[in-house]
Order: sequence, then structure tokens, then C-alpha cells
Amino acid sequence: MPTANLALPWQTQTVMTKPAEDLDLIRRMQAGDDDAVRDLYALYGQRLYAYALRLTNDPATAEDVTQNTLVTAWHTARTFRGEGRLIAWLLGIVHHTAMKALRGDTRYLDDVAEEIVSEDQQSPEEQAQVKDERRWVRQGIQSLSPEHRAVLDLIFYQGLSLNEAAQVLNIPVGTVKSRLSYARDHLRGVLARTEER
Amino acid sequence: MNHEEQLIRYAANQLNESERADFEKHMAGCASCQADLTLWQSLANEVIASDSAVPAPVHLADSALEAIHAPSKLTRAYKSTAQLLRMQLLLMHNELWIGSAALMFIFLAMALLVARVEVLHFFVPMIAAGTVTLIYGAEHDPAAELTFATPISPWKILLARLTLVSAYNVFLALCATAGLLLILPPQALGELLLGWLAPMTFLSALALLLSLWIGTSNALFISYTLWAAQYLALTSVGEWFAFLTPWLESYRQFWNDPALLFIFGFALVLSALWSAGREQVQWRRSIAM
Repeated sequence: MPTANLALPWQTQTVMTKPAEDLDLIRRMQAGDDDAVRDLYALYGQRLYAYALRLTNDPATAEDVTQNTLVTAWHTARTFRGEGRLIAWLLGIVHHTAMKALRGDTRYLDDVAEEIVSEDQQSPEEQAQVKDERRWVRQGIQSLSPEHRAVLDLIFYQGLSLNEAAQVLNIPVGTVKSRLSYARDHLRGVLARTEER
Repeated sequence: MNHEEQLIRYAANQLNESERADFEKHMAGCASCQADLTLWQSLANEVIASDSAVPAPVHLADSALEAIHAPSKLTRAYKSTAQLLRMQLLLMHNELWIGSAALMFIFLAMALLVARVEVLHFFVPMIAAGTVTLIYGAEHDPAAELTFATPISPWKILLARLTLVSAYNVFLALCATAGLLLILPPQALGELLLGWLAPMTFLSALALLLSLWIGTSNALFISYTLWAAQYLALTSVGEWFAFLTPWLESYRQFWNDPALLFIFGFALVLSALWSAGREQVQWRRSIAM
């Protein structure tokens, strides 16, 4: 059976942290060690920024969200008890911060995002070139709501289990599953529409 | 067995070896799972590819540290307020502080000499009102041009000066009250001070607003007249004015109602702050002419 042929972040050497390393980072942040923030970012920055960007779809907002996540992690390091993985805790902060940023931002609208897929915004020549399924998958994902994009990202890029994803999003596991099903059906619909063209 | 969950975990590479082998066996004979897997893998591949393609900006850790070590908003606000107060203290007339203290001392001495608290009750609000009419405007500001040229809003300047003068007036009133210990029992002082504060606030606010509108002398004349009017006893003038007595009674009650005085005083201060901007415009116009 074919599997993804890409280096997944949790499989690469740099991100293979042990719980002891995570706890050490947290203890150093609690002790006020600036370098702990730099080390934390070196380890997890890519994943945090990618998740923020996935939720916000805007690089500038994603930067703000990631920076605020580090600030929040610094100030709330005491509340991390090491019960789960550090990355899950950090992604939870990213999620909360990004959702707060999105609430204040009226640019995101489900209907508008839907139009990206359903309406022709390119010239006929461009459309003729766009037969690539990957492009439609990408647009299909982008046209999902941030909540649905979040679930896909947490499971497939961040490598979180369904339970961990549920904790990050602060929702029941059943809801994580139903969001995944919705995302799958949505993509199936998008692909079916492209085949009809 | 929930195949959808297995499919997701398979596509996400989260199955262990035996789970994986079992599921692959199942999939070999299940066309529906195979079709779904293709879809899940397209999704997974796209998510991974696009997330990996965007490098995280390198500066974020350092900018986060800058934000962590930056003084809090409260500290910044506190510092800028302290600076504004210090600056305005330097710009205001020194005579104001000495003059009002001297007047307060004289009236306290009078009150003690005649052993009448009413002397202070009458003069404390008047001293306070007098000082606030001298705090703002080109007429009183030795560096008005500089003041109006600064980027600080006029209402902030006025509020800073009003705060300084009001704090000083309350301090003087407290000192005078302490002086009354010579002729009064200590338990009477609290009520006495509260009795002064409300009229002092209202009369000062009124005088301030009027001084911005019609100048210091007019403001002093009107506010002092209004203050003194409550002490009129019109019935002594004659039967003709007897009809005014109920009105006068209500007027006296107004000056003795702390809640009303504070509410109206507050509204007048707000109007004065709003007027400060207009005052600046007028001043600029007069310079241009």
C-alpha cells in the first residue's frame, strides 16, 4: 500500500524530543532562562508556525499568533504539568490565540472561502492548465473552516492522536472524528465537481 | 472495527506494525476502503507538503523575548502619567501654591479665633475654586506656546493640572481640618471634611469651566456669587421677597447634597476637559490674527 513519502515532522531527528527534554525546557522557562524560548522555538517553531498559518491563512497573522504563543508559554509555563506532550500543550495555545485573532478579523467568511472552489476566478487558459488534482485538494482544504483545517493539520502534519487532537481543540473525540468525516466528504465533493468540468 | 478511524490512522502513519499488516490484509479485499484511503492520503500529503514548504520566520523567538521583557502597559501608562504631572507642575505658577496655602492659614486662624467652623466651611471651597481658575489658558501659562505645541492633547494637560491642584486643595483642606482639632472633638472632623469636599468639588468644577469660557475674573465673580447666594436670608429684606424663600431653601439643600454636587461637579469637569480643545483652537486663532 502506498504511504506518504514525505518527511513527517515528528519522525525527523530534530523533533524527536523526549518528555525529559520537554520538562527541562519548561523548567528553564519557569526559571526565566531566555535561551529556553530560543531552544523551544528551534525545536517546535516550524510546527507552531505551520499550524498558525493553517488556521489563519495569513502569514502576518500567523507570525503574531506564533509570537504570542511563545509569550503565553513563557508566562504560563508553571501550568504545564507534564501530563501530555509539550507540543500538544503548545498547539493548544496556538489554537486558542489563533481563534481569538480570527474572531477579531472579519476577512474570514465561510461563504467567501467556498467561492474559491465553486467559482471560476481564473482565465480559461489558466483553468485549462489546472488539471492537477493536488491543486484542487489544496483549494478544498483552504475552503474548509479553520476548525476543520485544524483537525486535518493536527492529525496528519503534527502527528497527534485523535485523543490529543481532542485535547488541543478542547472538544470530544467524537467531534474530532465527525470533523474529519466532514473534511473528507467536502473534499470528495470538490473533486467530483472538478471531474464534471 | 471502525474502518474510518483505521483509515485515518493508516494515512497518518500512526498504526503499529501488526495493526498495519492486519489493516492492509483487510484493504486488499475492500474496494470502498481503498477508495477512501486514496482520498485520505491525498489530504495527508497535501497538508504535510504545504506545511513543510513554509519555513517559520527565524526572528520570532527573539521578538517574543522582546515582548516578554517589555514593560507592561500599566507600567508604561504609570510612567507617562508621572512624567506629564511632573512637567505640568513645572509649568504652573508657584504663587498658586503659596497663595492658597497662605489664605487657608489666615482663614483657619480666623476660624480658631472666633471658634466658628463655619468660617472655614465658607472659605475652603472658595479657595479651591479660585486656584482652579488659574491653571489653564494663555493668560496663566508662562509657556502657553510650548504647551499648545506639544503633541499631548489639551484635555490631558488640563486634567493633569486639575489633578495636581485638586490634590493640593484636598491636602490643604485636610491640614485645615487637622487645625480645627484645637476647638473640635476628633470624631466631628470626618463628617466636617466630607461636608467640605462636595461643595469644594462642585464649585471648583464650575469655576474651571467658566474660566475656560469667559475668563478668570468673570468665572470667579459668578461662582463666588452663586456660592454666597445660599447664605442670603431674603425674608429679612421684606415681605415682598417672601415668595422666594422656598426656592432659596431648595438652593441651600442643593449645596448640602453631596451626591448631587459630586454628579454635577463630575459633569462640569467633563465639559471643561472638552472645552480645553476649543480653548486651544481659539488661542491659535488669536495668535494668527
